[in-house]
Amino acid sequence: MLRRVLALTSGRIAVGILAVIALLALLGPLLAPQDPLATSDNTLAAASGAHWLGTDYLGRDVLSRLLDGSRVSVLGSLEVAVMALVVGAIPGILSVYLGRVFEWVTLRLADTLVALPFLLFAVAVIALLGNGITQAMLVTGALVSPLFYRVARAATLSVARSPYVEAALVSGASIGWVVRRHVWLKVLPPLAVAFAQTIGVGFVIVSSLTFLGIGVQPPEPTWGGLLASDLGYLSHQPWAPVVPALLIMVTVWAANLLADAIRDVSGEAGRALVNSRKARANRRAAADPVSAGGTR
Amino acid sequence: MPARLTLRRPRAGARPVRRAGGLRLTALTTAFLALLAPALSACGGDTASASGDATLKWASSYFPAHWDPVVAGSGAQFRQLALVYASLTRTDTSGKAVPDLAESWEYNDKGDRITFHLRPGLKFSDGTPVDASAVKAAVERAKTQQNSALFGDLTSIESVDAKGLDAVVHLTQVDYQIPQLLGERVLQIASPKAAADPSKLDQQPVGAGPFVVEQLVPGTKVLLKKNPDYWDAKNIHIDDVELTSAPDTATVVSGLRTGVYNFADIEPSQAKSAEQAGLDVFIQPGFNAANISLNVNKAPFDDDRVVDAVRHAVNRKEFVDKLTFGHGEATDQPFPKGYVAYDPSSADAYPYDPAKSRKLLVAAGHRSGDIALDLVIPAEDPAAEIVQSQLAAVGIKVTIKIDKNWATPFFAKDLTFSLYSTTGRDSAVQTLTAHFGPDGPLNLSSPYQPAGFEAAVAKVRRTPLDAPDYPKVLQAATRAGLHSRALVFTYSSPNLFAKSKSVSALPKNPAHIDWTGVAIGGS
Repeated sequence: MLRRVLALTSGRIAVGILAVIALLALLGPLLAPQDPLATSDNTLAAASGAHWLGTDYLGRDVLSRLLDGSRVSVLGSLEVAVMALVVGAIPGILSVYLGRVFEWVTLRLADTLVALPFLLFAVAVIALLGNGITQAMLVTGALVSPLFYRVARAATLSVARSPYVEAALVSGASIGWVVRRHVWLKVLPPLAVAFAQTIGVGFVIVSSLTFLGIGVQPPEPTWGGLLASDLGYLSHQPWAPVVPALLIMVTVWAANLLADAIRDVSGEAGRALVNSRKARANRRAAADPVSAGGTR
Repeated sequence: MPARLTLRRPRAGARPVRRAGGLRLTALTTAFLALLAPALSACGGDTASASGDATLKWASSYFPAHWDPVVAGSGAQFRQLALVYASLTRTDTSGKAVPDLAESWEYNDKGDRITFHLRPGLKFSDGTPVDASAVKAAVERAKTQQNSALFGDLTSIESVDAKGLDAVVHLTQVDYQIPQLLGERVLQIASPKAAADPSKLDQQPVGAGPFVVEQLVPGTKVLLKKNPDYWDAKNIHIDDVELTSAPDTATVVSGLRTGVYNFADIEPSQAKSAEQAGLDVFIQPGFNAANISLNVNKAPFDDDRVVDAVRHAVNRKEFVDKLTFGHGEATDQPFPKGYVAYDPSSADAYPYDPAKSRKLLVAAGHRSGDIALDLVIPAEDPAAEIVQSQLAAVGIKVTIKIDKNWATPFFAKDLTFSLYSTTGRDSAVQTLTAHFGPDGPLNLSSPYQPAGFEAAVAKVRRTPLDAPDYPKVLQAATRAGLHSRALVFTYSSPNLFAKSKSVSALPKNPAHIDWTGVAIGGS
């Protein structure tokens, strides 16, 4: 799958950007040139050699805070996606096989979760459980899970009704064996698309919640939190929100691009697309050879 | 999945149709702009409207959640409620109580009874007469209503006798602070008829103040018009008021610049851009004071040396520079310098000295990092981050916890460490007891009070405000209160406002917004 995604230009761009973001999440706090929490008298300073992105309202180095905040921002969005995958995909597959009661209950639950406004629900749950990024992300993941539930259920339904699966069941194969042998392979590609897309959605959610001061306690930096605090000082630093906003925007765009690329290369159509591109490239190479050592 | 946009190539045959449509569109646009131009020009600028009405367009970040003065309490929103409600007294530019609904008052010889004489012929906006029975009803409601935020302020009042236009207030103790107390902060008087249903009053306020509510959208906007029956209506030159909840501090200045508002309270960070926009930026005098609240009934603040270490770790200048952009002042008292209750001899009793702070912690047996505290606050506040960083510098680890239900544990005195900012009170004694008294709402260490405070406050109450030794007695009470280990005052934020030039200057009544004599666009 990864090879096929990388065969597409959009896939390579998306993977490249997300790899950089992942590196930022891993190494960002180590790369921070200064203590991201250390205040100074040099408040709201413009970009300089000492502070490449200037300083904030308490004199803290903005670049260091951005780098330090990347881990929470990225991990938060991953938490959302993983939680949604686990909570949504497994019941989605099982809803096809575990009988009408389970199917009815999970469908109604999914409908209910879709109807809940995530921001209000997240605020309410945080008021009950305390203000923390894990609580916020787990709640949000649960709210996003109907996407995975429906994707997994739709893919499972299409496989479950196919003649070879029915033949396997008639031959005495267990449901577990059918799921492992046939269903899982069919469900994985659309789940991968949904997962990549949810990372982007998760990023927007993490940024929105931290923008509102939910999930992360100050002075811990996050990209959304930095954006929010910058907006209070626009008259002093009108350019300040640009960098955190760009980081959020590019990451979400890359996640969506990756989702598109996975969708394009998954299944038979995807395989055919990649094969035809390879064939076209081979034909072009054969018809138009470049002379050894020469240039045109 | 992101939607895909497909560019459509125009069909060749469509050209004449598009041309006719384009002409129609041009004509319509021209007509629309011709109609819109006067409207747009009316939106801009900051003068009174074309009808000649003087309209105050006030954007406030303190839009009241409650319009029943008993429920709203004596916090910053009293300024907005004062548009609708009048009170027995008000304060002048020196902060002294002067007549409002009451034209005069006098104490008995002993000082434990005061009679307010109300102005004759006044009525609330619902037609109910303003008389002593309305005053009695207001006091009783403040003392007994279940959701009252005022009963703690009225402990000196035993009962009220209503005798026509004379409200006779019987006191539980000799207390010459009552005229200061029963002003706009504590006893805005609502129509007793409307107050019979407090929940309705809360969203449909009825008072005898300078303006009458025409429409109220809870939490968002209120439209008011001048009250012709207000006792001082001749000095109110504003016809209409549009009070709006400020959507965001960053947008207020642009709203002022474009004429959406002509008056607003602004953040210190916005002052520079407001000045650059040609607006009048001014500071209204006031009693704002922020503090670090400590609970001395809980560890580690049950050790005096730890409290002193915190006192010496606080660099007040940093608060002033970073939070008020130089517009505020460092303070170690709940009163501004120069105010009658300010005690000069207590100034700078605990100067910023991190080395001494560290020594005190060592003497108390704490190594660096031993003390870890949760600083519980209701919302994100840069002041908390400054406290965190200043205490970290002396080896105290602080974790900021935002608790949206902060008010419950704070006023139940369950917290160990918190922050509070007050806008002060008109009665200095009320300010002192609120901060340092055994039941003071702002004393996180209740029932603790500093030694000698109770006697000092009782002496102030017994001293008439015009007595020659009143300042000395009051400052002694401040001094006694400041021995409290429960509060470390940090800075005073400015009451910062911006207005368009069409709005004339406001009276400099400390902490109040008084619209008396204020004109808009030469009204």
